Amino acid sequence: MSNYIRILMAAASLALLASCASTGENTDPIPQDMPQSEATGQPGQEAYSYAYGQAPGGYDTYDTSSGTYGSYPGGGTSDYGQSGAPAQPQPPEPAMPGMGGSMVSADRIVYFDFDSANIRSDSQAIIESNANYLRGNPRIITQLEGHTDERGSREYNIALGERRANAVRQVMSAMGVSPQQIRVVSYGEERPAANGFDEQSYALNRRVEIVY
Amino acid sequence: MKLVEKLFSVLILLFGVASLVHAQISLDITKKVESGGTPIAIAPFSGGAPEDIAGIVAADLQRTGKFAPQPPNAQANYSVTGQASPGGARGYIVQFQLSDAQGGALLNLSFDIPANQLRPVAHRISDLIYEKLTGEKGLAGTRIAFVAGGGGNWYLVVADADGQNPQVILRSGQPIMSPSWAPDGSKLAYVSFEGRRPQIVVQDVYSGARRVVSAAPGINGAPSWAPNGQRLAFTLSKDGNPEIYALDLATQSPVRLTSNGAIDTEPVWLPDGGIVFTSDRGGSPQLYRIGAGGGAAQRLTFEGDYNARPAVSPDGRYVAMMHRRGGRFYIAVMDLQTHQFRVLTSGSNAESPSFAPNGKMIVYSDGQRLAAISTDGTIQQDFALRGRARDPAWAPYGR
Repeated sequence: MSNYIRILMAAASLALLASCASTGENTDPIPQDMPQSEATGQPGQEAYSYAYGQAPGGYDTYDTSSGTYGSYPGGGTSDYGQSGAPAQPQPPEPAMPGMGGSMVSADRIVYFDFDSANIRSDSQAIIESNANYLRGNPRIITQLEGHTDERGSREYNIALGERRANAVRQVMSAMGVSPQQIRVVSYGEERPAANGFDEQSYALNRRVEIVY
Repeated sequence: MKLVEKLFSVLILLFGVASLVHAQISLDITKKVESGGTPIAIAPFSGGAPEDIAGIVAADLQRTGKFAPQPPNAQANYSVTGQASPGGARGYIVQFQLSDAQGGALLNLSFDIPANQLRPVAHRISDLIYEKLTGEKGLAGTRIAFVAGGGGNWYLVVADADGQNPQVILRSGQPIMSPSWAPDGSKLAYVSFEGRRPQIVVQDVYSGARRVVSAAPGINGAPSWAPNGQRLAFTLSKDGNPEIYALDLATQSPVRLTSNGAIDTEPVWLPDGGIVFTSDRGGSPQLYRIGAGGGAAQRLTFEGDYNARPAVSPDGRYVAMMHRRGGRFYIAVMDLQTHQFRVLTSGSNAESPSFAPNGKMIVYSDGQRLAAISTDGTIQQDFALRGRARDPAWAPYGR
């Protein structure tokens, strides 16, 4: 991988870190008022909320069974909305679409067995090479993103994905990577790498992505 | 350098494809119900209103599984007639009459409403008829929240209980999970991953205003509103592994209720302030119960090797859950008084049950679609809906 990408990734990690710091991570969960969305959205903003009946558009339908997208046009005309309320203008920027599948290269993905957070022997080399790199680059922060297959409870899978990411973290720590370089987040089954409903897809989805 | 270019062209390709396929496919939600039920003749409403009120009432009553709507003048135990005409102080006068087979009037009511209330009034009429004839509160006027989309765009949607009138109240480029209604139906708590980290957000459904109530390091998950509306239970892993917390919304101080090295998550409240939750402290996920102040956990489920995602009926008598047997997931329900355990669904990937506010129906997802089944397992409803709908939460009565 070229230095250019490394610099890019490092910059992204720093930006991530900065954004976390500014939103209060590592402090008590003090309530914060979020900017209301509507027409005041910032470019790159990821989420927009709407008063009931006031959303300017409908929603995209994403059908994993047929692999197709569509959209529900909807919007604006509510049986419950305050009568006479003007329709809100379209936000200046669409919400940033997140990537559904994996954008991480294969040498940064650790796979797991069904219902297990045990590190398989065939994963040791991948963890070790990434740990070596992080140890030699102590300013780089990695985010370990835990994932599960789509079977089972969504929230329980969030916990299972975290358990997997923590298992990778422990191995990296044992290899000498500083705890300050490792962040853990679990997406559970929400961001599958493969959309199929077979064991092959499930096996690709039970993973930890080492992102930096 | 080349790889960077490749990365960007992949991104451009993905974005381009996504915009191409925003075809105008309408969300077509219908439900089918097993035949049977009490015959009730419903005549088209006269007066020329722009909504087919009789059609909405017939569909609502059919969906309950307890009535079989018939054309006017058919042999039936009951009959409904009415009219909806321009007039009154607000735009329309809607009047209807429910009669028994002998022609005796059981209900005779009229409404003075604006045009945009014709559909809600039709649901109100359905519920009045249902309550009069069954003694139970109806569901036609209620709503269901669910998470739509996935794979790049997520939406929190609130639709009428018949699946019509879906309204987006949040859209995000990151996952949205686990909506939970405040008991008065005015707010939703949910998990949002915006910023690539989970946080628990409370959003006012009517204004769209929202507030982050938890953004601790690690998991912020599975919010559940207490029946008194003053507390939220949820899962945090900031102390090393997932534990159950209760947050007093007035003082904003979270109190930890569990202490166990295993996964504890998915808290839901009992009417007495106790909490049912999922834990794998016994080796596999099972449901446990703790009292209002925490303390020792009592295991509730012993059937099968996986019971999770509990939902408590409004009267506190039943717990619905995801239940795995033979590698497949079903919705099961347990009677907390008799400990009778019953599998309700026959599909293979049922998840995320949520009770209707009258306790008679349970809405759930099969990972792709919403469906509903009666708590006694006798009535099924399917929401035939294009696109993915998950994590349904049936709204309480209330506003």
